[in-house]
Amino acid sequence: MAKKILLGLKSTWQNLSISGKVAVAILILLLAMAIFAPFLSWLPHYRSSGPPLHPPGWPHLLGTDELGVDIWAMICYGARVSLAVGLGTALLAGLGGGIIGIFAAFKGGWVDRFVMRLIDIMIALPDLPVMIVLAAFFGPSLLNIIIVLSLFSWSIPARVARAGALSLKEQPYIKMAAHYGAGPFYLLMRHYIPELLPLILVSMIRLAGMAIVAEASLAFLGLGDPTSRSWGLIINHAVNFKGIYFTEYWKWWLLYPWLFLTLLVTSLALLGRDLERIADPRMVRMGVRS
Amino acid sequence: MFKNNTVLISIALLILMFMFAVGGCDTEKVEHAETVVLRLEGGDWGFPQPYTRYSRGPGNAKVNYIFDKLIEKDENGFIPWLAQDWEILDGGKKYVFQLVENAQWHDGEPFTAEDVVFTFEYIKKYPPVDAVDIFMDDSFLLEVKALSDYQVEFTFAGVDPNLFENLSSVYILPEHIWSKVDKPDEFISEEAVIGTGPFMLTDYNKEHGTYRYEAFRDFWGPEPAVDVLEFVPVSDPVLALEKGDIHCAGIPVDVLSRFENDPKYTIVQRPGFWGYRLRFNMEKLPVFKIKELRQAFAYAIDRQDLVEKTARGAAVAGSLGVLPPDHRWFNPDLPKYEQDLEKAKALLKQAGLEGEKLRFELLVGEDTEVRIGELIREYLSDIGIEIQVVSTDMKSRDSRIAEGNYQLVLVGHGGWARDPSYLGERFTGGDRGDWSSGTPGYYNARVEELAKQLKTEIDEEVRKEITMELQQVLAEDVPEICLYLTTGHDVYRNDIHDGWRHVFDHHMMEHNILSFVKR
Repeated sequence: MAKKILLGLKSTWQNLSISGKVAVAILILLLAMAIFAPFLSWLPHYRSSGPPLHPPGWPHLLGTDELGVDIWAMICYGARVSLAVGLGTALLAGLGGGIIGIFAAFKGGWVDRFVMRLIDIMIALPDLPVMIVLAAFFGPSLLNIIIVLSLFSWSIPARVARAGALSLKEQPYIKMAAHYGAGPFYLLMRHYIPELLPLILVSMIRLAGMAIVAEASLAFLGLGDPTSRSWGLIINHAVNFKGIYFTEYWKWWLLYPWLFLTLLVTSLALLGRDLERIADPRMVRMGVRS
Repeated sequence: MFKNNTVLISIALLILMFMFAVGGCDTEKVEHAETVVLRLEGGDWGFPQPYTRYSRGPGNAKVNYIFDKLIEKDENGFIPWLAQDWEILDGGKKYVFQLVENAQWHDGEPFTAEDVVFTFEYIKKYPPVDAVDIFMDDSFLLEVKALSDYQVEFTFAGVDPNLFENLSSVYILPEHIWSKVDKPDEFISEEAVIGTGPFMLTDYNKEHGTYRYEAFRDFWGPEPAVDVLEFVPVSDPVLALEKGDIHCAGIPVDVLSRFENDPKYTIVQRPGFWGYRLRFNMEKLPVFKIKELRQAFAYAIDRQDLVEKTARGAAVAGSLGVLPPDHRWFNPDLPKYEQDLEKAKALLKQAGLEGEKLRFELLVGEDTEVRIGELIREYLSDIGIEIQVVSTDMKSRDSRIAEGNYQLVLVGHGGWARDPSYLGERFTGGDRGDWSSGTPGYYNARVEELAKQLKTEIDEEVRKEITMELQQVLAEDVPEICLYLTTGHDVYRNDIHDGWRHVFDHHMMEHNILSFVKR
C-alpha cells in the first residue's frame, strides 16, 4: 500500500510542470517555517520588542508594526494559523463535500435531489451575514473559523464529485461489476472513491487558498481572536492604519505579509492547476498535457 | 464564494497608489460656482430627529443642523439662540426667556413660545435619545409657561448650576406637527425633520450613510454660509480630501506634511476632549470592587506608551482624576500613576490576590481599539493578569455596555470638557442603563456627596473646589482609567468654506452649527 502511494507520488511529481514543482517547493518551505517558527524567530510575536514602525534592519529583520511587534516573528508564527486554516478547511470541506457528492450520485433519486437542493441553498445563501450569525453563536476560536469556512465551502467539491460520479455510474465496467453482484460499499471503496479522489484533491487545494484569504476577514467579524497573529490580520491592521499608503510604513508592514500570503495562495493555485491537468483524463486526451 | 479577497484588494490598492505617485497632486479643480456645496465624510448615524438619531456626537450633529435649541455654545461659552435674552428671578429658581420673534419652521409656520412649552411637556412624556434628567423630573421642573407669544417662563424647585448646558441639549419641536405623534421613535416622515434651524434635510440614505441638507433661506439667525451640505461615503479620508471628494477630514499625523505647504488647506489641531477609558464592571465581577486591584491596573498600564503607539503621539495621557488635562478645572496635583510594575505587583499582594489566577475579558471596538486592547493585554501580563481581548463593532459594543454585559470595556467618546457634573453621572447611581454613564456596582460615599453638592451649588469658586476634591477622590479610588485624549488634526479646504470653528467644550468642528453660518 505504502509502496503504491509512493509510486503514485513519484509519477505525479514527474508529471508536474516546472511551475508546479516550484509551487511544491515553496509549500514545503512554508510548512517548515510554520513548524520551526520558534527556532526561526528570535523575538516574541505576541508582544512589542522594539520601537514602533521601525524599518527593516537588525534585530528587526522585516521591521516592526505600529505597536513595535517584530514582523518576521509574526510572519513565522502566522504561517501556522494560515496553514492550519487552509489545511483544516480543505480537509473538512473537501472530504466531507466529496463524500456527500459521491453518495448523492450513487444513491440517486430523492437523496440526490435533496443534496442538490441543499447545495443550491448553500450557494444562494449570502455567506457573510450567515457567517456573522454563526460567529455570535459559536464564539471565537481557530477551530470555529475552520468549521464555519467548511460549512460554506463543502458545496463546491460536492458538486464536482457528484458530476464525476454520475458519469462513472454509466461506465460499462461499473455496470458490469454491479451486475456481478458488487455491493454498494465495494463499489464506493473500489471504484468511485479512488477514481474521484484526484478531482476532489484539486478542489481541496483551491479551497485551501480561498480559506486562507477568508480567515482574516472573518476574524474581524468577531469570529476569531482579533489579536492573533495570522498573516491576514497583520495585513488587516496595516490597511487599517490611517493613511498608510502615504507613508513609507507599507513598504514593510504591508508588503512582507502580503508577499508571503501571495506566495502561499499562488503556490496552491499553481499546484492545483497542475494536479487538475493530471487528474482529468479528458484534458490529457485533448492534448492539454504539456 | 469568498468575496473578501484581501489579495485582490491589496493589489488594487497598490496599483491605485502607484497611479497617484505618478500623477502627483493633480487634484480636480473645484469650480467656483454660485452655490457652495460642502461635502463631508458620511456614515449612518440614524434618521436626524431627536428620537431616532444615534446617541453619539455625529448623530447629534445631524439633528443640530435642522433643529434649534434655546441656548447654543460658541468658542467662549453659552450664547443666546432661540432665547435671545433672559431674566433670572427668585434667586435662580425662575427664568423668563425672551424668544426670537422672526423665527419660523421650515414649513412656514411661525415659531412661538407655545412650541417651547409643548417641547418640554413632550420630552417629559417621551424622553429623547439624549434625555436630560432635570427636565424629566416633575419635582424639579415645576412649570413651563408661555407669558406671551415670545416669552416663556421656567419655574424650578431648586437651582440648577448647569441649566444652560442642559438647555443646550433640548431641541425645540414644532407643536403643530409633533402634537399628533405618539410614537416619536418611529416617526421618520418628511414632517419629522421640520425644525427652525439653518438647514433642511433633503435626502437621507441609511444603507449608504448619506445625508444631504440645503440651506433654509428664511432662517431667523445668521445666514447659512454654505448652500448645500452633503455627507458622502468615503473609504480613505486622506485620498478623498486630496481628490476633493470631501472638504474637511481628520488627518493622521504621519501624513499631515502632505497638506502643510498647500495654501488651499488649513490645518487645525483638535482640543483633547475626546478620550478612551477603561471601565470595570464591578457588579458582574465583584473582584473589581477591590480598590488595590484597580490601582494595580492603573500602575501597570503605560498611558504615555499608548499615546506614542496607538495615537502616534497625537494625544495627551489621561488623568486618573478623570477630568482631562485641557479641562478648565483640571486638578494637576493628583497621583500621576506612572507605570510601575513593582508597585502594581505589591498592590496585588496587598489585596491578597497574589498567586490567584486573574483572567478577564476586555471588550473593545474595532481598529485602533483592538490595538489598544493588545497593548493593555501586554502591560497586564507583566503583573500576572491575563486579558482576553474581544472585538466587536462600535454599536454592539455600546449596547453591550448599556446592558452591563462585559467585564472590562474600552470605550472612546467626546464630551470630556463639559461641566464636571458629568462625573456624577459616571460614578454615582450604579448602572444607569446607557452606554455613556454609570459604573455598575460602584459606590463611594464621598463621591456621592461631592457629586450631589456639585449638582446644587451655584457659586463657581465653590464648585471648582468641589471638583478639585472630587478628582482627588477619584484618582485614589480609580473607578475607571482614562487612557488618553486624542488631539488629532483636521484639515479643511479653505477655498470652499472657511468658517470652521470649535466650541469651547467640543473637539469636532463639524458638529457645531456655528461652523456653517456667517458670523
